[in-house]
Amino acid sequence: MQPYADGVVTNRDFLRSVFHSMLRARILENKLSSLYKAGKIVGGVYLGRGQEAVSASLGTALIQGSDFFAPLIRDQAGRTAFGEPLIDCTRTYLGSVEGPMRGRDGNIHRGRPKMGMPAMISHLGAQVPVIAGMLFAKRLQGTLHGRVGATCIGDGATSTGAFHEGLNLAAVERLPMVVVVANNQFAYSTPNHRQFACADLVEKARGYGIGGFSVDGTDLMACASVIGEAVRIAREGGGPQLVVARLLRLSGHGEHDDGSYVPAEIRSGFYGRDCIEVAMRQLVENQFATVDEILAWQEEVAEEVQRAVAQAQQEAVPDPYHEDWTALATRFPLTLSQAQ
Amino acid sequence: MPTVPILMPQLGESIAEATVIRLGIAVGDSVRTDQEIIEVETNKAVMGVTTLCDGVVSELRAVEGVSYSVGTLLGLLEVTDAEVLRTGVESLESIEAKRSATNQTNSPAQAEANLHFALDDDAYEEAPAVVPSIKGLPVPTGTMGAHYISPRMRARMNDLGIREADISAIAGTGAGGRVTVEDLERFLDYLGTWPSSNASPMRLAVADAMRRSWTRPLATVGLPLLLDRALDHRRAQSPKPGLTLYLLRAFALALTENPTTAGYLIGDKVVHPRSFDIGVAVQVEDGVVVPVVRKVDQKTLSDLVAEYDDLVDRARRRRLTEQDCSGGIATVTNFGTFGLTTGTPIPLPNETLILGIGAGVKKPVWSAQVEAFLPAIEADLLLTFDHRVVDGGGAGVLLNRVSELLQKPEAL
Amino acid sequence: MSVTYIDAIREAQEKLLREDDRVFLYGQDIATFGGAFKATKGLAEQFPNRVFDAPISEDAMIGMAVGAAIEGMRPIVEMQFADFSSIAFNQIVNQAATHFYRTGVPIPLTVRLPSGGTPGSGPFHSQSMEGIYAQYPGLVVLTPATVSDAYHMLLDGVALDDPVIYCEHKFLYRWLKAKSINGDHLPIGQARITRPGKHATVVAYSAMVHEAVRAADRLAQDGWEIEVVDLRSVKPLDLDTILASVARTGRLLAVGEAFPWGGVTAEVIARVTEEGFHLLDAPPQRLNARDTPVPYHPKLWAAHRPTPESICEALRKLLSF
Repeated sequence: MQPYADGVVTNRDFLRSVFHSMLRARILENKLSSLYKAGKIVGGVYLGRGQEAVSASLGTALIQGSDFFAPLIRDQAGRTAFGEPLIDCTRTYLGSVEGPMRGRDGNIHRGRPKMGMPAMISHLGAQVPVIAGMLFAKRLQGTLHGRVGATCIGDGATSTGAFHEGLNLAAVERLPMVVVVANNQFAYSTPNHRQFACADLVEKARGYGIGGFSVDGTDLMACASVIGEAVRIAREGGGPQLVVARLLRLSGHGEHDDGSYVPAEIRSGFYGRDCIEVAMRQLVENQFATVDEILAWQEEVAEEVQRAVAQAQQEAVPDPYHEDWTALATRFPLTLSQAQ
Repeated sequence: MPTVPILMPQLGESIAEATVIRLGIAVGDSVRTDQEIIEVETNKAVMGVTTLCDGVVSELRAVEGVSYSVGTLLGLLEVTDAEVLRTGVESLESIEAKRSATNQTNSPAQAEANLHFALDDDAYEEAPAVVPSIKGLPVPTGTMGAHYISPRMRARMNDLGIREADISAIAGTGAGGRVTVEDLERFLDYLGTWPSSNASPMRLAVADAMRRSWTRPLATVGLPLLLDRALDHRRAQSPKPGLTLYLLRAFALALTENPTTAGYLIGDKVVHPRSFDIGVAVQVEDGVVVPVVRKVDQKTLSDLVAEYDDLVDRARRRRLTEQDCSGGIATVTNFGTFGLTTGTPIPLPNETLILGIGAGVKKPVWSAQVEAFLPAIEADLLLTFDHRVVDGGGAGVLLNRVSELLQKPEAL
Repeated sequence: MSVTYIDAIREAQEKLLREDDRVFLYGQDIATFGGAFKATKGLAEQFPNRVFDAPISEDAMIGMAVGAAIEGMRPIVEMQFADFSSIAFNQIVNQAATHFYRTGVPIPLTVRLPSGGTPGSGPFHSQSMEGIYAQYPGLVVLTPATVSDAYHMLLDGVALDDPVIYCEHKFLYRWLKAKSINGDHLPIGQARITRPGKHATVVAYSAMVHEAVRAADRLAQDGWEIEVVDLRSVKPLDLDTILASVARTGRLLAVGEAFPWGGVTAEVIARVTEEGFHLLDAPPQRLNARDTPVPYHPKLWAAHRPTPESICEALRKLLSF
């Protein structure tokens, strides 16, 4: 969906769609937090609260079934926008064998690689070259034209070798790739000034010879417009694009963390504002949606979330006695004819 | 004047050889240090072979277009002594001197490479044979080599139904004298040339019991026992109790005074007798059985006769039940019935004590009362015990007490 | 006419590129230059847009290959030296190796690791990494020792749907020659009895197979018949063939060029002890490189790794038990 007309975001349907994904993510994640605090979810719960505008803008700008999207830890909104059903999320968190990870991996470490959405590993920056490889394959197969691959990472991941290697490789191969950095000011508890020394992460783009954009990550219309532009340029052959979105994480690193290390002045500062509230205001003021409509969406989504939770909870969890306990696709021993 | 070799260098990892493309020098040419003199091509690149020092080409063996393996002599330089000193190069003469000193060949790298992978066996000299400097693998301590049984040996013995005791005849050739599987197989082959028969189940049962018992430190003590009073008493009885029964009764009474002597040691505990049930060794065809007489301490001799006779009779007819033979705390054996005067009986594996008696022999015995030797019937009374449980002192007290009790047979 | 070990690797890649358009090659200096060891010599000209020079980014090279594999390709990534795969370790063991288990989507990726020592290569161009990768679930680890295996196992490895760590020995590249690549062809996961014997079993792989055979030759002069088992693939490990050999001989020596702590030789001995304790007539022995970085100087290097001499000595000890 093209967000643009004459450089300004005026596409009503695009914005409504982004907002709807933001809302679905927020309501789902509130529910996950509650399930965690009720002891229903083991491991951790990691929320994208505060990052929905960035994530959903990217997910909405990508084309399902053709583009690739490697979401990271705080991309529930982007996953939803890219077409991941809510049930994938609740099944993975609740360990249902019907889910994409079948209890073998949990929470945000999920994906559907064959549907263009690889499953993240915990090592930050590692998905950057994977997206590059998916695009590279399409180039070799002669079907790259019109496709884009994208991934989101945080400010912390920009310090990794994997980010550097992956972005540099994508730049060398001139792949249609968008890397969105959600600079939420804290990598777990580490503030920006202990993470990097440049004034703005977007400066890195110049070093890699790729396009760079900065955007206010709490502003739906800005995100939709800037990320949409970056995706468009990549899609039209402009090579990799780096978008740095400034925002604040409105939760702890996970739900086990209260984020008390975030100073009060930052919480109450400009980026401490809630992107959902900003977005609602923008939609209403521009007459893209009415308050009643939004309230109705909220109600619908809450019901949808409840259904996804209820269904996943009723499904079987993995049984160690029926697990096949092999990590290989090949079943050894092989006969020679199988080997050939 | 010293001669310095020009060798085919190792121009990259895993490069085995290189081809000479162009010779930039001829015999008689003067060359300078670091001058590229021969152009060679490897699988990876074209490179120049350089000189290590100033000198004059005295010989050129390399031919353009030919491949040489790494380390091959391509030519020779004549170099002044001063130049050798200045550059520290090795001259052929010094290499030769070193080689004759250490009997080494080639450069270490080349020697190593040739040693392992050269396909032409003439290309290297075999390294001197290795003499193992370490005596061997350590045999597990505490078992002594001769007694160490490897897992494979154990498995083979189990296959063949062979016990450790069965291989005592084999002088092992393994480390520390241990018996190897090969030793065993050789021994079995050797035994195959001897006549043999199958051992009876009774024989195997006795063998198994004795083998298990023998794993303990067993000691035997003895004293001469005067038998006259017991024999006199016996003659007066009807029916006559066997001499063994006197022994049985005296043994039981003596044990009631110090029951732990018959205790069974397991781990850090001594298990005490629950009841003074004592076995009697009865020789049967191809073996020994040990029926148990119950509560011997609580019955008189005359009470015991019928029970004892029944057990012995059934034993000889092989009609004993498992029940008849279980639960004993010690055993009595009368090998005197075979005319034997002495022996070292072995207790059952589940018992600590066995009391044995040899044949009575008429002997002159000194009488302090009449101050003369008087004729008396004497037999060896022997006690074998598990030395982990009982010591010589305890065994002596027990034996003396049995002897004492047998001097008052009417009280039995 | 003879074929070297590296010729076989090149031939296999040429055949793969010719017959399977899902295959592409990615690695440093492998295109026009033909690779640091010339394993891809001429392939870039022969197959334009199938053979690519990579930036010096081992992590990204493997991450990229994983992505391409998800999208149906069968990438072969050449690490310039096995040692440098440490940079790609995360992508290999966490991304590629876990992928099928986690998502059900296999990653048919082959990583070529020029492995093992050559004289003068030193600490960072000599390592043997097979034990490290074999430790991780989800990887197949191959260690061909012959020219024919180098060829067939690369073909068979690329055909597998799993990530394959293909450890090719640099010392064998040009020293090892064969008349042709048409040796016997065993499936991956099956070991080979390189030399039959009855007094002791040497389990070896990669270049150490040749060292073991040489040691066996020497001991044969004293009447000892040493059986040499070439693992071919260290993972999966062909325990059946090893146990069958130990059942014949009762004595086991495992030889590897990797560092001594843990690793393939330790695994072989642990498995045999576990499942074949009753077969052992002597404590199983292992021989590895020394517990130091691989030294530079050829004299130190030659004494760092197992040699025919040290294998002979270990075998004599074993045989005298």
